[in-house]
Amino acid sequence: MSSSSCKKCATSTSIGKKQIMGVTGLLLCGFLISHLLGNLTLLVGPDAFNKYSHTLTSNPLIYGAEFILAAIFLSHIVMAIRLIIENRAARPVKYHMYKKSGRGGTLASSTMPFTGLIALVFLVFHICGLKFGTVYSTNVGGVEMRDLYRTTIEYFQDPLHVLGYIVAMVALGFHTSHGFWSAFQSLGLNHPKYMPKIQCLSKLFGLVVAIGFSGLAIFCFIKGGH
Amino acid sequence: MGGNSTDTMSLNLKVWRQKNAKDKGQMVDYKLDGVSPDMSFLEMMDTLNTKLVKEKGDTIAFDHDCREGICGMCSMMINGQAHGPEAETTTCQLHMRKFKSGDTIVVEPWRAKAFPVIKDLMVDRTALDDIMVAGGYVNVNTGNPQDANSILIGQENAELAMDAAACIGCGACVASCKNASAMLFVSAKISQLALLPQGEIESAARAQAMVAKMDELGFGNCTNEAECEAQCPKGIKIENIARMNREWFKGVIGNR
Amino acid sequence: MTTQIKKLDGKVPAGPIQDRWKTHKFNMKIVNAANKRKYSVIVVGTGLAGASAAASLAELGYNVSTFCIQDSPRRAHSIAAQGGINAAKNYPNDGDSIYRLFYDTVKGGDYRARESNVYRLAEVANNIIDQCVAQGVPFAREYGGTLSNRSFGGAQVSRTFYARGQTGQQLLLGAYSAMMKEINNGKIKSYTRREMVELVIVEGKARGIIVRNLITGEFEKYMADAVLIATGGYGNVFYLSTNAKASNASAAFRAYKKGAYFANPCFTQIHPTCIPVSGDHQSKLTLMSESLRNDGRVWVPKKKGDTRKPQDIPEEERDYYLERIYPSFGNLVPRDVASRNAKNQCDAGFGVSQTGKAVYLDFAAAIKRDGHDKIKAKYGNLFDMYQRITDADPYKTPMMIYPAIHYTMGGLWVDYNLMSNIPGLFVLGEANFSDHGANRLGASALMQGLADGYFVIPYTLGNYFATEKFEKIDTNHPEFEKAFSSSKERFNKLLAVNGTKTVDEFHKELGLVMWDNVGMGRNAEGLQTAIKRIQEIRADFWKNVKVTGTNVDVNTELEKAGRVADFLELGELMAKDALIRKESCGGHFREESQTEEGEAKRDDENFCHVAAWEYQGESAEPLRHIEELQFEFVKLTQRSYK
Repeated sequence: MSSSSCKKCATSTSIGKKQIMGVTGLLLCGFLISHLLGNLTLLVGPDAFNKYSHTLTSNPLIYGAEFILAAIFLSHIVMAIRLIIENRAARPVKYHMYKKSGRGGTLASSTMPFTGLIALVFLVFHICGLKFGTVYSTNVGGVEMRDLYRTTIEYFQDPLHVLGYIVAMVALGFHTSHGFWSAFQSLGLNHPKYMPKIQCLSKLFGLVVAIGFSGLAIFCFIKGGH
Repeated sequence: MGGNSTDTMSLNLKVWRQKNAKDKGQMVDYKLDGVSPDMSFLEMMDTLNTKLVKEKGDTIAFDHDCREGICGMCSMMINGQAHGPEAETTTCQLHMRKFKSGDTIVVEPWRAKAFPVIKDLMVDRTALDDIMVAGGYVNVNTGNPQDANSILIGQENAELAMDAAACIGCGACVASCKNASAMLFVSAKISQLALLPQGEIESAARAQAMVAKMDELGFGNCTNEAECEAQCPKGIKIENIARMNREWFKGVIGNR
Repeated sequence: MTTQIKKLDGKVPAGPIQDRWKTHKFNMKIVNAANKRKYSVIVVGTGLAGASAAASLAELGYNVSTFCIQDSPRRAHSIAAQGGINAAKNYPNDGDSIYRLFYDTVKGGDYRARESNVYRLAEVANNIIDQCVAQGVPFAREYGGTLSNRSFGGAQVSRTFYARGQTGQQLLLGAYSAMMKEINNGKIKSYTRREMVELVIVEGKARGIIVRNLITGEFEKYMADAVLIATGGYGNVFYLSTNAKASNASAAFRAYKKGAYFANPCFTQIHPTCIPVSGDHQSKLTLMSESLRNDGRVWVPKKKGDTRKPQDIPEEERDYYLERIYPSFGNLVPRDVASRNAKNQCDAGFGVSQTGKAVYLDFAAAIKRDGHDKIKAKYGNLFDMYQRITDADPYKTPMMIYPAIHYTMGGLWVDYNLMSNIPGLFVLGEANFSDHGANRLGASALMQGLADGYFVIPYTLGNYFATEKFEKIDTNHPEFEKAFSSSKERFNKLLAVNGTKTVDEFHKELGLVMWDNVGMGRNAEGLQTAIKRIQEIRADFWKNVKVTGTNVDVNTELEKAGRVADFLELGELMAKDALIRKESCGGHFREESQTEEGEAKRDDENFCHVAAWEYQGESAEPLRHIEELQFEFVKLTQRSYK
């Protein structure tokens, strides 16, 4: 195999795809953490949250950032779909009986496509309900800005929204608890000494995502008068 | 012997029967009495085959050879697990004392696009050889190499290389992987040779070539579930897959 | 019968033993590099000998086709060798030398091997280690990064290189990977799941083979300028052996029936440390590496029929019989000696286990001395295997072991160039008879297989090509057609019998006769009985065997039937050979010929020779030719390990 053709098709090889999944996954994990940290301003109060979101959205670089984020999401999703299709094709005749040994795969690892899908569906609702939700305006320190705090609190007055949010975030927690360490494995960033720690961190990460975001949803629900 | 027992067992077996590659195949039920707990799983299958010959039926074809867990020839999916329920045990080393009388045991061939069924429980694993052909070696000819001791290898790396080299090429990793991926098999060889100075030189190129071949043959992709590691009869670790991923990436960025 | 005996010439070069191989290599003709690609070679069997030969010959430029019965060349039974490979590197500084390895091997073989062959083997052994290391074989290492050695039976130095308990596997995978490299280079074509069923001889030269495609059931013809047989030994004649289930003698035996001489068929090796038989269902026996005898102590209770648990038998009531009888070698006596003593103890009623056919191999002392972890590091995988099979934990209770058939020193007769009496038919590894005499030392089989393949055949085959002229023929030649149709007929005949007994039943029956009469102890009466019994079983086989299935697609019963049919003839030949060799030597123990202490007593006056049998047709007695053995360097003495 010539080296030039190798380079060209690197992204379409099994490992190439996995490594793209890994890199985009890690970047998305970074996004999740920053998103969560930003959302914590909800706890501080309406002004803090609105100021934070205003700073973010009024920066002209936001379009570039959103574009990149969308691209990362998209490539993560496209790669996932390709992998799923290929993986299904790799075993055209299924087993009559197939059983996990209990020593390998976990619930998180074997449900990646489903938890991923839940997260994707959630994303659509999330953007429609909040980013493109009702627009109120407010004035913080003399600056006219969108009152996203109010939109958020109102959104979470519907218990169904809170429930959906919790379900999605638990799914995402599962997804990342496997995905986080899995990215290190796919990228070959492993070491017998550190890998168990990374795996631990991965579980912790999933827990933070699930509890953090769900917690905020519940907070909004309570804050709104319930 | 330690576990000698006079009690025999009766088993209900569900076995995949398929005349040849073109046949559609189906699960067939058999009842087998008089199974000694000291029998290996293959000896139990022998007993069933003897019964079939006596009844003038066609015997069940299955691969086996050394029957001491090293040749990698035996290859049964037993109750949904590659080589059965015991950890780090090949089918030939699995003994019937691990089952109970009255159990129903489901026996199927390895299933993967790259492992077409030849007959019954026998599959074609030529794909694994094809991957080896692509680069599973050090490019050195027979001749007069330097004295063996002039290549020093630290004990730790030698042991890690040996851990990886212990792969018997049975294909249980492919069979047990929900994606029918051959990553563990391929990585074991890449890892072994990458850990040794003799093989390190070609390591990145080897990873590139072997992975390309593996993809071409229709194996699935790795989703880091480690079911392969759990069901590998030789306990090959998925850290080898990580090492392969690294070597492969070196090849991508290092290529001109 | 004796009137027609031929004196065979081993074509051994003359001169000082140290220079013979060097001189011979120089004197041999060479095929020039460009012409090598005009020659084709068939290699049957892809174990250590076959794979290493195929790779080395392909590297030189010859066009090689390999054939194996398994689904991949990597499955050959060389893979199961556990302990190690010998070489006189003298790394441990314990006084080893090529000459000592040579001496030990000749002595270990009880002076029934060709000196020159053995010296060559000892000489190239060092290259083998270098070659394997270069291929990336992960031998065990010391902390400083140098290679590690251990001791083996029959030697007082540590010269055995090893890769845990999987040395054979690692060496085979080394040779296999070299083969894969040459497949990639287009110089080897590998044919798997194919069984050689006939040798094709055209105008006196071996020119091809007929194989049966084990998937389609079809017969196929392959032509070449030379045929190499490297199909291993025939231990499965005994049904229960440590050989793989599919290991068989058919390729070699087909060659015998086409005129190749079969040498010393009665020389079989019984390995002292195998897991005892557990019941009638037993399909094969499992070996526990000889390396265990480095730390394990062999004993039986001093009291006959002692049924106490081994832990409950106090030290003074145990008989460490090997240490007692052989104080200088102790538990590390050669295999034949260790096996025979185990049999003696059991025959005398001291055996343990329910069957009384086992002795203890005890690690308690070693575990106490070195600690559990160190023993686990050395033998962990073997202990696990033992536990898996027997359900007993060798860390806590002694292993039970008993001898089992393990290796066959006899095989097709070859000269110094590894060529049989049929020009163009070369025989390598265990399939030939050449290097181990009447008993093989531990860790020498791997050495011989690789020596033949990597370092001998590349030279001697070139010499054959350079000195012979080859007619252009193709597979439509009448000889090919003849062999093709006769093979087909033979298999159809097996299917047509349509009797009532399974192939395995016949095989087991043969195995019992062999074990009882042609096993560890042999005598004239037993051997005569065996010959008669085997003839009866054979007649019954062709009348009563039931082979299910058809000649198309996979038919494993038919495969087995073909092999057992050959074993049923080979077994008789072994018994005949054993009957005529009235001396005891190495693994061949004639009860009539023993010293006062019960050791094997050779008869150098009458039997210092190789017996090579020539097939004379179905109803005629085979001829027994002789190759006299000259011992110019090692003095013939009564072997002693006391």
